[in-house]
Amino acid sequence: MISSLRDYLNQFVQLTDEEFRLLMSKLEACKFQKRELLTNTGEVENYLYFIERGLVKRCFLKNDEVIVSHIAKEGGIIGATPSFFSRQPSRYMVEALEPTTALRISHSNLEQLYTHSKTWEKLGRVITAGYLIQQEQILYDTTCLTVRQRFVKFMKENPDLILRVPQKLLASYLNIKQETFSRLKHLMTEKQPQI
Amino acid sequence: MINTDNISEASFAYIKAYFDKFLPMTPEEIKGLMSYCDLRQFDKNTVILEQGEVDDYLNMIVTGIVIKYAKIGNKKMILQLSTEGHVINSEISFLTRTPSKVYLETLEPTMMVSLQYEKMEEALALFPKGERLGRLIQEGMYLKKDERRYAMLSKSMRERFLDYVQQHPHMIQRVPQKYLASYLNITSETFSRFKHLIRESTAK
Repeated sequence: MISSLRDYLNQFVQLTDEEFRLLMSKLEACKFQKRELLTNTGEVENYLYFIERGLVKRCFLKNDEVIVSHIAKEGGIIGATPSFFSRQPSRYMVEALEPTTALRISHSNLEQLYTHSKTWEKLGRVITAGYLIQQEQILYDTTCLTVRQRFVKFMKENPDLILRVPQKLLASYLNIKQETFSRLKHLMTEKQPQI
Repeated sequence: MINTDNISEASFAYIKAYFDKFLPMTPEEIKGLMSYCDLRQFDKNTVILEQGEVDDYLNMIVTGIVIKYAKIGNKKMILQLSTEGHVINSEISFLTRTPSKVYLETLEPTMMVSLQYEKMEEALALFPKGERLGRLIQEGMYLKKDERRYAMLSKSMRERFLDYVQQHPHMIQRVPQKYLASYLNITSETFSRFKHLIRESTAK
C-alpha cells in the first residue's frame, strides 16, 4: 500500500525518505466493508482517502434514485471533496462498493503538513490541479460528447469497471439512460472480436 | 507586468478584495504579486483563445464577461460564463500545456488581470504565498465546477433556469439568450417559455 502511495505522489513531487516518513505519520489506515458509508450527506468531510484496494463511489439521492458523481478505484483519491475544501455540509455521500482498504488524511493533519514546508504546499497545489482537470474534463465530455462517445471513452479508459460496478451505477455516472447503456454494451461485445 | 502605481485605487481595492477571499495579504504583497501579472484589455466579441492554441494565461476578470465554449459543428456549446471577480481560462490546456479544445471570447469590453504560465512558475518559486494562493484559487475553481455539475445532475430544467436567474439577475441582460440556454442545457424554445417565470418570481 505504502509503495503505491509513493508511486502516486512521485508523479507530482519527488519526496525524500524523511518527507515520506513525515507524511506517513499523518496518515491513518482504514478498512470498509461493502456498502459501508465513509461519509454521509450533511456531514462536513473530514478526510481524503487514497484507495489501496477496493472501489468507492461518491453519489447523492434524487428522489430515490442514486446519482453517481465519482467512482474511484485502486490508486485513486476520493472523499466528499467539495465539502472537504469548503468545510460546508456535504451534498454527497461516499460509500464502498467493494471491501476497501485505504489510507486517509484528516483536514487538520493536511493543514499541518502544508505549514511544515513548501514541498507540501506544492504537492497540494498540483494534486488540486489534477482534481480541477478531472472536473473540467467531465463537464466537457457531458456537454460535447454524444452518449455513444462517452460510453466508448469510459470503457476504453476503465475496461475493468464494467465488471466491477453495477450497470445502473455506471449508467448514472455516465449520465446515460439504463436502456441505452444496455444497448451500447451489447454493441460493444459484438464488436470486440474484430478489435 | 502590472505596476500598481498606474492603476486606479478602486481597481487595486477590487483586486486586493479578490485575493483576500483566499488568503489575507498586505498591500505590499499584492503589489509584489501584481508585478508577475499583466493587465489585458479586449473589445467586446473578441476571441481571446482559439481552439488548438495552448492557453498561456490564467485570467481574473476585473470588468466584462468572458465565455468558454466548444464548437460542435456550427453550434457553440457554452461551458462557462464568467464575469467580474471570476477566474477563467482553458484549465486543461493551461495546466497540461496541450492544445485547447475550447474557445474563450469576450461578450463585453473586458479588462482582466492575467498571469502568464512562465510568470506563474516564477511566482510559485519566488513569491512566498504563491503555492498556497495557487492551491486555494484552484479549490475555488473546482467548487464552482462541482456546483454546476451538481445543478445539472440534481435539478430540472425549470429549477436550473429559476436558480440561475435568481442568483445572477443581471446576466439576463448581459448575455444573449442562446448562450444562457446552452449554458443551462435548455433548448432556446424552452428558455423563451420559461421567461414568464422571471416576472412571476419577481412579483412574489
